[in-house]
Amino acid sequence: MRSTTLLTGMVLISLWRPVFASEAVDTLLDEYRSEGVTEFSLEDGKVMWTQEFTDAETGKVRQCSTCHTADLTQEGKHEKTGKVIKPLAPSVNPERLTQIAEINKWFKRNCKWTIGRECTPQEKGNFLNFINAQ
Amino acid sequence: MSRIRVWDLPIRLFHWLLVFSFIATWLTEDNDRYLDFHVFFGYLFIGLLLFRLIWGIVGSHYARFAQFHYGFKAIRDYSKSLFSSHPQHFVGHNPAGSLAIFAIISLGLIVAVSGLLTLGGEEQHGVFAGLFSFAEGEIFHEIHEISAWLLLGVVGVHIAGVVVSSFLHRENLVRSMVTGYKMTETEQPSVNLHITVAILLLTILLISSGFYFQGYFTQTPDKPYLPFVGPQLASNETWQSECSDCHLAYHPSLLPSRSWQRIFKEQSEHFGDDLALDEETLTELGNFAINYAAETEVTEIAWKINHTVPLHDIPLRITETTYWKKQHHEIEDIIWQQQNVNSKANCSACHLDAKQGTFEDGAMRIPELID
Ligand code: HEC
Ligand code: HEC
Ligand code: HEC
Repeated sequence: MRSTTLLTGMVLISLWRPVFASEAVDTLLDEYRSEGVTEFSLEDGKVMWTQEFTDAETGKVRQCSTCHTADLTQEGKHEKTGKVIKPLAPSVNPERLTQIAEINKWFKRNCKWTIGRECTPQEKGNFLNFINAQ
Repeated sequence: MSRIRVWDLPIRLFHWLLVFSFIATWLTEDNDRYLDFHVFFGYLFIGLLLFRLIWGIVGSHYARFAQFHYGFKAIRDYSKSLFSSHPQHFVGHNPAGSLAIFAIISLGLIVAVSGLLTLGGEEQHGVFAGLFSFAEGEIFHEIHEISAWLLLGVVGVHIAGVVVSSFLHRENLVRSMVTGYKMTETEQPSVNLHITVAILLLTILLISSGFYFQGYFTQTPDKPYLPFVGPQLASNETWQSECSDCHLAYHPSLLPSRSWQRIFKEQSEHFGDDLALDEETLTELGNFAINYAAETEVTEIAWKINHTVPLHDIPLRITETTYWKKQHHEIEDIIWQQQNVNSKANCSACHLDAKQGTFEDGAMRIPELID
């Protein structure tokens, strides 16, 4: 019964999804909604992208932009290993935000690394809206 | 007194090329980056010795071993005469010189052959590749080094002998080896110059060095030349995609299987990152790592690491192992810190074959210092 409602809901939402949003993003936003989030804010996502967090262990400042840079259409660089990271913006790298498992995995990794805890569904939704618009 | 040609052209070429290759192998011995040069000069060295053996049979008069004065009595009489007012004089090689030549040729052959065996065992390259184990290679390496030092000693004695007898007989033996001429009291014919053989020798040398080093002329910045290409190691797609996002996907043969087990068990605390891998992926990665870990000893580095990490030790880093530290202790801190290296774990900044996991000699390039 629950899955049918979910399915209907997904079909309904997919009817008014924004032009650039991929299916993966929609599915995830849905999931966050089902966890109680009512509205997502691209602006909040943008602010948090460059918000500074201090790592308890090293005392260093960490931001999402530390590795991805503030301009998502540019290549980034892993802060610790120096490895080049391909641009996150779907407009220049269409492979981005297409796989749910990837997105979940990287949210878990990067939120813990940057903020020191996992992100809330609200924060993840905001980030997705922000990244997706790049 | 008459001036006659004693040394033909091939003998003189042999002598000075041997000197050159001997010095060149010593100069390239220390830095593995130049192993291909070391090996080339080694081939030159052994090629020259083999030529000398043939020339000792078919060459011109004074070059023939049959003309050498050696044997116990000859040496005793010669040594005694050195302390008398009329030291014995020989137009060709004197007894001490003959002995030095035999010693240099035979020791030289030992050095060269043990070098080829080391290349075959330790690096699995060259004519003996695949025939010997890494452990046997290490024994050959010992023999190679000891015999090379002995040879250096014999060369020292030879040079001392040349100086002493030049002084005693008031003749410049070094110049003779350049010009080919000596003064004699008795009437004796000059030897043939043998210029064709000399030209043939030089042509072979030129062509073979062109072949050997051609990779350096055809390389491009994107595709730098690797003098030695290692074996193709086992790969796994999941490993490649899961482990290459934050850094180079280190090949499992770089750590023992107990290390990989520990890395996966502690995946939520992975050097400050949470790997957040699911059970299924973990199982696949774990199996791949254990099947192809350092214990397989597929490469020299795998063999070295498997051998040198104490059994009670479970290193989480390749860069923590004593073998790795020993290989890199000469590299200055400033190199590690500069931004195109960034971390010791960034192997591919310096090793062109880091992705393949083979870490061959001759494949490392320290990036230029940037200000
Ligand atoms: C320590 C470096 C680092 C930091 C800091 C970091 N990331 Fe990432 N992020 C990565 C790497 C590496 C990848 C994977 C790159 C690849 O797939 O090529 C990645 C991938 C992602 C992806 C997956 C995109 C896709 O679909 O492939 C998302 C989403 C993401 N990051 C969001 C964030 C957010 C949000 C933050 C801040 C909370 C952040 N990152 C901070 C290193 C970082
Ligand atoms: C989310 C990022 C991330 C991912 C994904 C990741 N690692 Fe790492 N790993 C790191 C960081 C950060 C370091 C520390 C690098 C440094 O010190 O320069 C590291 C270091 C290592 C080291 C030690 C390197 C050394 O010798 O110093 C090993 C081994 C390693 N990782 C194995 C793996 C394997 C196997 C995987 C795939 C399952 C993997 N890593 C995936 C972030 C990651
Ligand atoms: C800053 C550059 C640099 C980095 C980064 C680096 N290496 Fe090296 N490595 C070298 C140099 C230079 C040598 C040669 C040392 C010598 O022989 O004098 C070397 C030697 C080696 C050797 C010995 C090769 C041989 O057969 O003699 C191995 C194995 C090796 N490195 C593995 C690694 C691994 C694994 C990593 C990453 C975890 C790494 N290196 C990172 C520069 C580097």
